[in-house]
Amino acid sequence: MTQHVNSRRGSSRRAVLKGMAAAGVATIASPFVVRKLAAADPIRIGVLSPVTGAWTVYGAAHSRGFELAVEEINAAGGVLGRPIEMVLADYQTDQRLVVEHANRLIRQEKVDLLAGTFSSADRNAAGPVVKAADKLLLYPTWYEGQIKDYYPGVCNKNIFMFGPEPTQQVWPFMEYMVKNHGNKFYMIGSDYAWPKVTNLFTKEKLAELGGETVAEVYIPFNTPQYESVLRDIREKKPDIIFHSLTGSDTVNFAQQFHAAGMNKDFTYWTVDDEEVVTSGLGPEVSAGHFVSFDYFMTISHPNNKAFLQRYQAKYGADALMNTVGVGMYNAAHMGALAIAKAGKVETAAIREALKELEFADAPQGPVKMRGLDNQIVVPSYLMKVRAGWTSVNDMFEEVMTVPSVEPKDARCDLPL
Amino acid sequence: MEILVSVLADTVLITLVLAFAAFGLAIIYGLTGVINMGHGAMLTLGAYFTWWLLDQGVPFVPTVLLSALAVGLVGLAFEHLLIRHFYGRPFDTLLLTWAFFLVTTEVIKIVFGTDFRNVADPIGGDPVNLGIYQVPTYKTVVALLALAVVAGTALVFFKTTLGVRVRAMTQNREMAGLLGLNVAAMYKLVFGFGAAMAGLAGGVIAPMFAVQPYMGDMFLVRSFFVVTIGGIGQLLAGTLFGSFAIGGLETVLALFSDQVIAQIAVFFIAVIVLRFRPQGVFSGR
Repeated sequence: MTQHVNSRRGSSRRAVLKGMAAAGVATIASPFVVRKLAAADPIRIGVLSPVTGAWTVYGAAHSRGFELAVEEINAAGGVLGRPIEMVLADYQTDQRLVVEHANRLIRQEKVDLLAGTFSSADRNAAGPVVKAADKLLLYPTWYEGQIKDYYPGVCNKNIFMFGPEPTQQVWPFMEYMVKNHGNKFYMIGSDYAWPKVTNLFTKEKLAELGGETVAEVYIPFNTPQYESVLRDIREKKPDIIFHSLTGSDTVNFAQQFHAAGMNKDFTYWTVDDEEVVTSGLGPEVSAGHFVSFDYFMTISHPNNKAFLQRYQAKYGADALMNTVGVGMYNAAHMGALAIAKAGKVETAAIREALKELEFADAPQGPVKMRGLDNQIVVPSYLMKVRAGWTSVNDMFEEVMTVPSVEPKDARCDLPL
Repeated sequence: MEILVSVLADTVLITLVLAFAAFGLAIIYGLTGVINMGHGAMLTLGAYFTWWLLDQGVPFVPTVLLSALAVGLVGLAFEHLLIRHFYGRPFDTLLLTWAFFLVTTEVIKIVFGTDFRNVADPIGGDPVNLGIYQVPTYKTVVALLALAVVAGTALVFFKTTLGVRVRAMTQNREMAGLLGLNVAAMYKLVFGFGAAMAGLAGGVIAPMFAVQPYMGDMFLVRSFFVVTIGGIGQLLAGTLFGSFAIGGLETVLALFSDQVIAQIAVFFIAVIVLRFRPQGVFSGR
């Protein structure tokens, strides 16, 4: 997908470099020409993807998930007889650029709706833009759930959540983990909203189950050293390390945890390490970790097999997919279904059509968008990292599956 | 007692690992005066070369040596093509080396991909249990290697004619040139060696960290603090003290507070120190 952007930019840059007025006019005029020539006006969707910067590692699956879905929709004849055109913008993991690109996509590229952003901070940056411009944003990532304080990043009628929140990602497995691995939790996470709210929910459920949180530690981004935390873990003797570090910090921590010989002494449960991160950990360091998400490449659902076949045919046998990529994939398909149902490309109509919309072909199993709070209802999987895995295709084994998990109602003024 | 021993041991290990990561910068920035914003990218490049060579089946020790050599050559080429025209113009070199970081990072993404890459611990196995302290084996080896590299360089720097020449060059470039030293070659040598040291460090620490295109960023700011706190051009004492102040101290402080506060406190202390000793703790200049 980067090529897509590069070629667009590259061609316009080359044209400018010629420095001729004629070339300049041609560049400006070309959209009109294209529009007249096209059989039908495409429906344009702006995709905000972190192709560079700190979340680069997630960028590929993120943009590819959407791209694959768009290709499938167009191959099947498009929506309302019109093809879908994806306009990719790389916001370089910079929230200022999220705002800039969201505005540019809406005002200059005239997109009909937006999809993407990765972290909650990115989404919160886009919130005011989509509110002011009255455009939809389809958000793909697992996140902390909606609390009114963060409006308009959440609790925003124009933002639809295609990733799981903590009561879907964590709660379904709490009883199993406490029963089989112990009830003393040591919580370690990155120092921002998602880990803190995830831990808040986890503590609530843990207290219900009679468990105990022995420590709750937050680590600044880009921390290379974990010695003091490892020492603290040894002293407090928890049963389960409940882990919500993100990005490269999760790899740095897990590697040092393993080097300190602690893998065998503690149960390690992470709500962050999907395929991307676990690949970075390698088979030795990650062996035996528990991971929970709404999607894994190794789940046995028949939808997934067909989906991966198409995905890997397009991007190669080693191409990574993960929960975010699938969130983007579902967002594109459900966006298209909603437009078809609405019969027109207009924000209010698509918004109404998305509510209670079901999508039976989702790779993780059938999903449904709630009308009440714009939160997706998804399956949830607890997996264990297989010892000696060789690729993403044999990385996880299923421990427990819940085919459909309703979230806790968002703490917003409902209905949205 | 147990805590004291383990904190002490951790502090020493962290200090030495950070000193290793910062050493390439200490050489380039300290001796040639080039504000090398590309230091992080050089570390990252070393880590990626290491990952790639291991993937090709090359054993670990030759791999990291080759990685150091390769990054050293990249550094030499960069110096020859661009940097050598800009010595004595710190702001220009800052922009140039920043460009080096941007270009190198994009090239890494194109060549090696954007996924996390994994370099397995070459020693592996459990830490050695000494009763009061569990010695993490690989990290200890890295720390000892860091000590050897820093001390070895210092030995060359202070005890050989080559060292005298380099020192002459850093103290008074024009005079050294007038006295017949080939200053241009010396700068090239120092720059290339600094780059190679960054590449070596990147390769050696790769098994301890996430190998991804922005890996070196984690050490860029810390390395600059290490060098400025220790004293620019103070290769041995300066690098070790600076690494303790930026890395080791954090572990000690984390005993009394949490990690967030410890990290803020460390940089706060660093800023205070620089306010009163802008030339760095060990600089006589």
